[in-house]
Amino acid sequence: MSTPATPTDMITALVRLREALQAAYLPLDLPGVDQRRKDQREMVDQIEDYVLPRLIQIDAPLLTVVGGSTGAGKSTLVNSLVGTRVTEPGVLRPTTRSPVLVHNPVDADWFDKERILPDLARTTGATGDPGALQLVPSDAVPQGLAILDAPDIDSVEEHNRTLAAQLLAAADLWLFVTSAARYADQVPWDYLKAAAERSTAVAIVLDRTASEAIGEVSAHLARMLTTRGLKDSPLFTVAEGNVDGDGLLPPDAVSDIRGWLHSLAADSNARAAVVKQTLEGAIRTLSHHAHDVADASAEQAAMVARLRKDVDRAYDEAVKSVDEASADGTLLRGEVLARWQEFVGTGELLRSLETKVGWIRDRIVGAVKGRPQQVEKVTVAVESGLETLILEHAEDAAEHAHESWSSVEAGRNLLEDSGRDLGRASRDFRARAERAVRDWQRGVLEMVRTEGSDKRSTARVLAFGVNGLAVALMIVVFASTAGMTGAEVGIAGGSAVVGQKLLEAVFGDQAVRRLAANARKDLNRRVTGLLDTERRRYLAVLDDLKVDPKAAENIRSVARRIDDLRFAAHIAPTPAEESSLQMIAPDEVHGERA
Amino acid sequence: MTALVEGAKRLVGKGSSDVATRVQGLQQAVESARGRLDEATVEETAGVVERSGARLKLSAEHTVVALAGATGSGKSSTFNALTDLDLAAVGVKRPTTSWTMACTWGAEGAADLLDWLGVPPRHQASRSSMLDSPANDDEELRGLVLLDLPDHDSTEVAHHVEVDRLVKLTDVLVWVLDPQKYADAAIHDRYLRPLASHKDVMLVVLNHIDEVPEDRRESMVADLERLLKADGLDGVPLFTTSARHGDGIAELKKELARRVAAKKAVRDRMIADVKDAAQRLQEQSGTAKPGDVARARKSELVDAFADAAGVPTVVHAVDTATRVRARQATGWPVTKWLARLRPDPLRRLHLDLGAGGKELTAGPRSSLPEATLVERARVDTVVRAVADDASEGLAQPWAAAIRHASVSRLDDLNDALDRAVGGTDLGVGRTPVWWKLVRVLQWLLFFVAVAGGLWLAGLAVMGYLQLPDPSTPDYLGLPVPTLMLLGGVVAGVLVALLSRLSAAIGARRRASSADRRLRDAIGEVTEELVIAPIETELDAYRRTRDGLAAALR
Repeated sequence: MSTPATPTDMITALVRLREALQAAYLPLDLPGVDQRRKDQREMVDQIEDYVLPRLIQIDAPLLTVVGGSTGAGKSTLVNSLVGTRVTEPGVLRPTTRSPVLVHNPVDADWFDKERILPDLARTTGATGDPGALQLVPSDAVPQGLAILDAPDIDSVEEHNRTLAAQLLAAADLWLFVTSAARYADQVPWDYLKAAAERSTAVAIVLDRTASEAIGEVSAHLARMLTTRGLKDSPLFTVAEGNVDGDGLLPPDAVSDIRGWLHSLAADSNARAAVVKQTLEGAIRTLSHHAHDVADASAEQAAMVARLRKDVDRAYDEAVKSVDEASADGTLLRGEVLARWQEFVGTGELLRSLETKVGWIRDRIVGAVKGRPQQVEKVTVAVESGLETLILEHAEDAAEHAHESWSSVEAGRNLLEDSGRDLGRASRDFRARAERAVRDWQRGVLEMVRTEGSDKRSTARVLAFGVNGLAVALMIVVFASTAGMTGAEVGIAGGSAVVGQKLLEAVFGDQAVRRLAANARKDLNRRVTGLLDTERRRYLAVLDDLKVDPKAAENIRSVARRIDDLRFAAHIAPTPAEESSLQMIAPDEVHGERA
Repeated sequence: MTALVEGAKRLVGKGSSDVATRVQGLQQAVESARGRLDEATVEETAGVVERSGARLKLSAEHTVVALAGATGSGKSSTFNALTDLDLAAVGVKRPTTSWTMACTWGAEGAADLLDWLGVPPRHQASRSSMLDSPANDDEELRGLVLLDLPDHDSTEVAHHVEVDRLVKLTDVLVWVLDPQKYADAAIHDRYLRPLASHKDVMLVVLNHIDEVPEDRRESMVADLERLLKADGLDGVPLFTTSARHGDGIAELKKELARRVAAKKAVRDRMIADVKDAAQRLQEQSGTAKPGDVARARKSELVDAFADAAGVPTVVHAVDTATRVRARQATGWPVTKWLARLRPDPLRRLHLDLGAGGKELTAGPRSSLPEATLVERARVDTVVRAVADDASEGLAQPWAAAIRHASVSRLDDLNDALDRAVGGTDLGVGRTPVWWKLVRVLQWLLFFVAVAGGLWLAGLAVMGYLQLPDPSTPDYLGLPVPTLMLLGGVVAGVLVALLSRLSAAIGARRRASSADRRLRDAIGEVTEELVIAPIETELDAYRRTRDGLAAALR
């Protein structure tokens, strides 16, 4: 028994492979991902159902799974092999019932739920529940071998197909049943191709064939097997004969197969060779296909990173644009500039110098004329200007992010599944932007008040009015990066100069520079905060996917470890091992293949 | 499309124009949806339109019936049994049939049809050319083109491709199933379920029935009916046959004869195709009523554009410029030169260059300040709102198309606005008649005052020189020269003040008329840059929607 030299290491590695595979989520709809998801599921199933149990108990009975198309006569064949009616054949397609496992009474312990196929419940009677496995002890089956009648692989019943695939993956030996009408069908050949690929031990049974056609059909089938890499698989034929009252074929018809199975059961070396061939093939294929899943997982991670970058780019751009526009003097044109010039021009700023009487008079005049104070007008203009700016950039960023996500299918599906309209700014964004701008203005006011309170300039601050100075500071912020390029910026800058001079007169130029920098930083912080909330709507969608960028590397390293163990176990896996069935195959079967 | 209608007319009597209308509707939908809805779906639908158009031009006298099914189900045996000839190869090796065989009953006019189906002449046979046939069933099957398709489930992929191609082209599909394979996923999942909408032009045959014990046949047929029902094919005629022994073939033949004689199959198949394709397109396109851009929204749009174009600045400048000019024209000659010291705001904006100036510059080009980011942001916000209004309730692809169209031309915004403002006659070039009259009056008054002054000066000089005092006439007790001087000055100042007052009114009127004209011009810009592209998309949507409605009627 040349199992891998260090079975415990291999078991540990396979357990880790299973975990790594399970941890690799493939939620994004990338091209070809359906196949990868299926691979992933099947690999996990195969590790649990077959590879681990088999590695742990290498001398367990040989599990022969009888698989094939619907209507090819699997059940009849199993019944005839056992000699009693253990499973119910039917004319109706597809037959839905639990798969039946026939074993020698001595081997009963091997097939409990803990050991193999852990997700199938065990029953002893016939049930229609396809999620259960019916165990039938029978002396007709030799010790050391069990026969499992799997559901069909190609009927409309999807559950049958999945279960059949799962059972076939758990087999040490496939007894693949086909018929004269079936033998060229595509679906069975897909299975046989996969079996050839991972060197699973397969024997083919050509069932339900009219005796006059047997020669021609079996020759054609043998040729097909040879061209598809299964030349070493034994081929049995069962003529379409009359079944007796119990639905059994005459014993002669299946004597070849039965004899072959019995000799296999009797020869422990041959049995071990079959087990080894299938097990090693399975492990090799697992470690090989693990790389495909790893690739898929890496693709997923790359796509998540790309989508994240799209979002970041859109929102970074928005933050940057707002930041620039709020400092380079653009806000000082239009409405804000007009209000500011009115404010400066009407001399309200300077009138603040006057006594309280002047202030009261202004208030009265304002009240009578029903006009808000000029300083308030500037504040309002600043507010609506900034707000429009922020709002539009938030909309723009949402739209850009939406657009770049829509350009790939995975992103499109995410957007659809998110159930929200991410292409627009959130519903309450306007309100939040308003609040943020007002908070900023209040902050600037507070800044000016604090600056003024502990200085000898307090008197002057009081004289000018905190509000007026705060507005002046905002204007200075809006022009803080405006180079004196072009006449318009010149005008804007010129207006800001008035404010700057006034502030310098009150606080000193050092303080003004600091105040302006702080106010700008504060504005930037608030805008970033606002837009980050928007950005998170997108990022939350990505985070929910739980795609782990390290999953791919995990799988790869475990797969490499498995390969290392495989090579360490035997330096050169020779192709000759793939023909373990040949030495025990009956001669007459070979004769037919020539 | 007229060829299509003619084709449809040849396609016998009643209901033929119905098919043409549907196909036309679908074509209209495809044309307007192209580039807007999912490309794959649109192209698939275009394929249906093309196929239907092609079929309509071909023989309406023939009905194409295809035998399709899995390998080994007995398609070829059935074909041979129906034709009474050993045309198709029958064998135990799978797959047996690799190419499509055709047999025609009544060959005239069928050549083009077979050519279109892609059946080469060497695989064609004509029942009427075979002299051995008894004449009776020839007559009832006249017009039948029977195809024996390759299998759809063997390892030969080329066969599947051939089946997929011909399944789309034939008028009636006969699915040949057998007891072993009738529940295969390959046939149910790939053909029967997707073709559920075509059940009027489908038949199902359960062949090899002789292989099933008699007592079990009934339950098998019931089981097959259950599966067909699950596929959405309840009510499809189901025949049990044994091609080898000839059981049930007569019934099948009779059914085929009935279908051929009714000559409805071509039309039914086409309608099923068209409806199916239209349905799929409609799932994407939606059926919502297209939205409209409200008048209020449009004026909001004009406001935002006007602000971005600097209209308030221009209007203000018109007001000021009119006052300045009025003062120059109607002011009191002694002080009005002062007005000239104030710059004309319109000239400063390069909006009033005069005839010479316009000739010098290639096109009117104002030096209005460019729209700021804030103004531009406002424009974008309103445009978005307009697009939202228009795409209200529409399916996502259309909403996206409208949104895209709404901003597609905004890059030209500054240019277009500048041209609109520069190209608008602000109405400041005209000099009102009363300005001229007042100017004459002012000079008259000025001269009167000057004359009075000179007169008085003359009198003063004469008095100084002790010359005899000439008698000065007086009026109302005041000497005329004094009256002239004072009256002239007072009247001049008074007229100037009055003119200023009425010039202010005129200026306001001119400003508001300039505002109106500018807004009209800008309204055209919004039409051109925003509304028209949106309307184009809405129109495409309407055409798609109407076309699909016609196709699905």
